Amino acid sequence: MGIKFKNVNYKYPGIGESLFALTDVSLSIEPKGEFIAIVGHTGSGKSTLIQHMNALLIPNSGDIDVFGNIVKKGEKLTPIRKRVGMVFQFPEYQLFEETVEKDIMFGPLNFGLSKEEAREKAKDVIKVVGLDESYLSRSPFNLSGGEMRRVAIAGILAMEPEILVLDEPTVGLDPQGQKSIMDLFLSLHKKFNKTIILVTHNMDVVSEYANRVIVMKKSKLVFDGLPVDLFGDDELLQSYDLDIPKLMKIMRSINSEFNSKLNDTVFNLDDVVSELKKL
Amino acid sequence: MRIIIGQYLPADSWIHKLDPRAKLIALILLIATTFVIGNLYTMIGLLVFTIILVQSSKIPLSRFIKGIESLVFLLFFTVIFQMLFNKNGTLLFSTDLNLTWLNLGIIVILIVGYNLVKKMIKRRFIFFLATVALMVYSLTFDMGGLIKVFNISIYTDAVKFASFLVTRILILVSLSSLLTLTTKPTELNNGLESVLKPFKLIKVPTEEISMMISIALRFIPTLLDEANKIIKAQASRGVDFKEGTLRQKIVQIIALLIPMFIISFKRADDLANAMEARSYFPGKPRSKLVDFKFRFVDYAVLTFAIALIPSVILLAI
Repeated sequence: MGIKFKNVNYKYPGIGESLFALTDVSLSIEPKGEFIAIVGHTGSGKSTLIQHMNALLIPNSGDIDVFGNIVKKGEKLTPIRKRVGMVFQFPEYQLFEETVEKDIMFGPLNFGLSKEEAREKAKDVIKVVGLDESYLSRSPFNLSGGEMRRVAIAGILAMEPEILVLDEPTVGLDPQGQKSIMDLFLSLHKKFNKTIILVTHNMDVVSEYANRVIVMKKSKLVFDGLPVDLFGDDELLQSYDLDIPKLMKIMRSINSEFNSKLNDTVFNLDDVVSELKKL
Repeated sequence: MRIIIGQYLPADSWIHKLDPRAKLIALILLIATTFVIGNLYTMIGLLVFTIILVQSSKIPLSRFIKGIESLVFLLFFTVIFQMLFNKNGTLLFSTDLNLTWLNLGIIVILIVGYNLVKKMIKRRFIFFLATVALMVYSLTFDMGGLIKVFNISIYTDAVKFASFLVTRILILVSLSSLLTLTTKPTELNNGLESVLKPFKLIKVPTEEISMMISIALRFIPTLLDEANKIIKAQASRGVDFKEGTLRQKIVQIIALLIPMFIISFKRADDLANAMEARSYFPGKPRSKLVDFKFRFVDYAVLTFAIALIPSVILLAI
């Protein structure tokens, strides 16, 4: 079993009656094979939710079980952080070592690997994120924004987490950079069958990559299911204030223009093509 | 965070409405007064006056107590030093403390116990005092295995001087908290700029200094926020900020500080560009959004503050 939430409540500490950031959230995530997108408005509790998966926040009430470790005050939390890797928004800001290699080795060394093992890991993961070994000896601060982000992600991958949690990993990158970062996660998902959890505002990313969607609204988990079920239901989408992916929009305008009745719940180009052939 | 300085608390009181320049100058004069005063009774008088001021500011007393709490260790050591080293005046109290092996054991147990439970206790200082009192009390018994005998004697001057210093510190802390609690940072900054104006004659860039101060104040919460994010990001890379040997602690601090430096420089760069885009030129005259005007109350407060020092000197004679 991977991650299990049971009736989790969380409130940020503050003066007076602050609002709940998580209210009665229950969910369970498999350790393998899932690609989950978490969507919702700003302030709906997405970031709070994923920080609980990494034991960076401790619930006020309810149980969280991560690979058999209970997330609770006073418990050892580092084993959880090894098994669930977390990539924050703008991860390039966490770089601090003199060389890329040292920065990638930082995580593995913290989790008790020897220097040689960590160095091997660094060599492996730098290729996984699409950079070559010559980057290892460079300073992380002389890289471009996209490269820095890749290095930061490599630093997390080097810890070999079983589940990877990403908080808006493509924010601030150009379209090409966004696509190649997302393809990196997809290949990790396909090659190693890793579970990937992703917070995003981009519905195209949800429809293209995810095989499960979680919708947060006002601190509550309101939807947990397949993307088809979410995007196929206009009423649901409206009540969650969510948009539909671009491809669906195109199909809808084709339908209204040609008075056709094609299936408009399509998520990739192949489906679009096979639908269009029916015209 | 328990930093009281820079925390403006809005309320409807005459002190809030005071001109920031008058408030600032009056505060400086009052602080100067505490250093002119030479005897305990005048000092206590000034403390009473300060408390009346605090009361009339309509700010909850708990805020001031919070500010004093952070200084409580300083007060504590002021008292202890006076008690131990000031041997003037008449003898008030004297006792022998016996340091024995058994007592040493008790002290070690008390220290360990204190460190174990201190996390669960809110009013930590009272608990600290109680622990110290218990330690000293345990020393008054001779329980065998004597190592050394200490003589503790307290003289009247020690008590007098200790209370004098404590009163002075209390006045200083309450007054400066009063200023920051009743004045908006921007107002305070504008006030500071006006007060420093005479220094422009000797080529001190007062406007730039006050701009720097206001930028620094503005960025404290932002940088705290960023620091929190970095701490979390490094924690998920396996840094346990709560534990670690000295060596690990150093690495942890570096892992926090270097990203913080880079973020600060980046923010500074962005801010500089934004300011330049809005035609900010250092040294060029700038108009203000609000022009302060002295009212009758402001003059009254200033006159009173100026009159205070000579009257205190006269009182001493």
